[in-house]
Amino acid sequence: MAEDLVLDTPIRDWVLIPLSVVMVLIGVLRYFVSKLMRSFQVPDPKIVKEGQVVVRARNLRAGANFIPPKSFRSRRFYFSNEENGLLHVPKGQSQNAQAAQMFSDPNMATDMMKKNLSMIIPQTLTFAWVNFFFSGFVAAKIPFPLTQRFRSMLQNGIDLSTVNVSYVSSRSWYFLNLFGLRGLFSLILGEENAVDDTQRMMQMGGFGFDPTKNLSAEKDSIDIIQHEWALPKFEQRAEAVLRKLVH
Amino acid sequence: MVTKTEETQLERLENQVDNGGGGAWEYLCLVGRLKLRRSEKVLKHGLSILNDPKKRSALGSEEWTLYEQVAIAALDCQSLDVSKDCIKVLRKGFPESKRVGRLEAMLLEAKGSWAEAEKAYSSLLEDNPLDQVVHKRKVAMAKAQGDISGAIEGLNKYLEIFMADHDAWRELAEIYVSLQMYKQAAFCYEELILSQPTVPLYHLAYADVLYTLGGLENLQAAKKYYASTIDLTGGKTTRALFGICLCTSAIGQLAKGRNKEEKESPELQSLAAAALEKDYKQRAPGKLSLVTTALKSLKSNCCTEEMLIWAHHSSDDDNSHATHLTMIHGPIQAQTIFQ
Repeated sequence: MAEDLVLDTPIRDWVLIPLSVVMVLIGVLRYFVSKLMRSFQVPDPKIVKEGQVVVRARNLRAGANFIPPKSFRSRRFYFSNEENGLLHVPKGQSQNAQAAQMFSDPNMATDMMKKNLSMIIPQTLTFAWVNFFFSGFVAAKIPFPLTQRFRSMLQNGIDLSTVNVSYVSSRSWYFLNLFGLRGLFSLILGEENAVDDTQRMMQMGGFGFDPTKNLSAEKDSIDIIQHEWALPKFEQRAEAVLRKLVH
Repeated sequence: MVTKTEETQLERLENQVDNGGGGAWEYLCLVGRLKLRRSEKVLKHGLSILNDPKKRSALGSEEWTLYEQVAIAALDCQSLDVSKDCIKVLRKGFPESKRVGRLEAMLLEAKGSWAEAEKAYSSLLEDNPLDQVVHKRKVAMAKAQGDISGAIEGLNKYLEIFMADHDAWRELAEIYVSLQMYKQAAFCYEELILSQPTVPLYHLAYADVLYTLGGLENLQAAKKYYASTIDLTGGKTTRALFGICLCTSAIGQLAKGRNKEEKESPELQSLAAAALEKDYKQRAPGKLSLVTTALKSLKSNCCTEEMLIWAHHSSDDDNSHATHLTMIHGPIQAQTIFQ
């Protein structure tokens, strides 16, 4: 029975192709809108400085053995003393810093909003549009058979268990386009500009990040370094090098 | 850092472009990416692309980057008119851009209208107080006007925030050396060694500063850093070899009074001396006798500092960075030893 299903050519002309074209156009439009809304925000000096402090402390940790003991000790004190060391985070500040910053800086919140809006609004609109006009269409057929498990992926919106799984419903075609057009966008809009929904969703997950934790972790590891000046060894090594050179 | 492969690629492209073999755009891209200073070539080849409408439009939006690159190169070559034209085109394309504003300020700076440039930079900083390039330009401008203390102040302020920027540390170190503020310079060089522990240049410069500071402890440390330079360069640094000899003799003099100091092995010095003689025999046979007598008298603990420095200077030593430091340190080193 399923083999007898014949797809009308107007379905191709009025459902399949328009749906794809609209999805591409919306992707392009969204790219330009987000480009318009992107605001340049001046980074917070404190955060920049903290990042730099961490880099420098990491350098100190890595290269500690290359500077004389006295220099090392003074640097360690500079980084990790309890009064005004660069890596010292006063108690109580670390926990609520992030939350306080969220509330005190409306820019951050609006920026998040903008990003989300540019993603959510067109998606809901197109989904509603597809649902309203094209619900229930069988829009295409893929040229190979698939198992029953693909039914929920390819025949979303058609509640018939007897139709062959290789037929694709219009709503499923919409989802396939939504997630599958990334390659096309990177062709049209340039490599980095591709609108990538999946990646954006992942970025949202990593939000609750606390920079002060970084500082105190770095402080702990600086505190436990055993300084052992590497330079005395170099005299012997230099001797060996020269001996080879002279003879 | 420029790697070996990039260097060979650059050389190949440079040859090809200079001989009219095309590839100018690739060359310019590479120079821009590696942040090299090839201003004259960039100016020449960049202009040839910009003046050719067909080639220029083939670049697409990269055209603007090229305009910027050429504008900066032109400033460096004192072709202010060219740079002015480029900036004008950019201004037309981006009427409100801060990046173009930076270029305009640089043009003012190149013209020597310091006050106006200062004003322009300050207004740029007001918009974005964390613009590293503008901060650095301000320091460079102070230095160009001879306002060394202003440059130091600017650098210190810059380093308070961007403390992981080793180029700035290096600049500060060199300024301190030029002002004979060796303790401060030593700190900066320590910072440089920390950030790039395997660059022999920093070890060498740090050793120089320590040696110049004098005192038994510093001299011993200096000797160690000269040794590490030798190890890192495979014994090819003439300056470090001389440094070893000088340090050993200076330490010998200072430690003469107190015998309880453990005897240092004299082998390193004799090896360094031998390496020096061999090196001079190969590269500057005419100066060999000079070096030999100087080294001999060093061994007998008689101060021959000036002779050594003179020999070093007149030798065809290709470590130009080293020579410039010698010129600064020369007289002071002599004093330390005479103490």
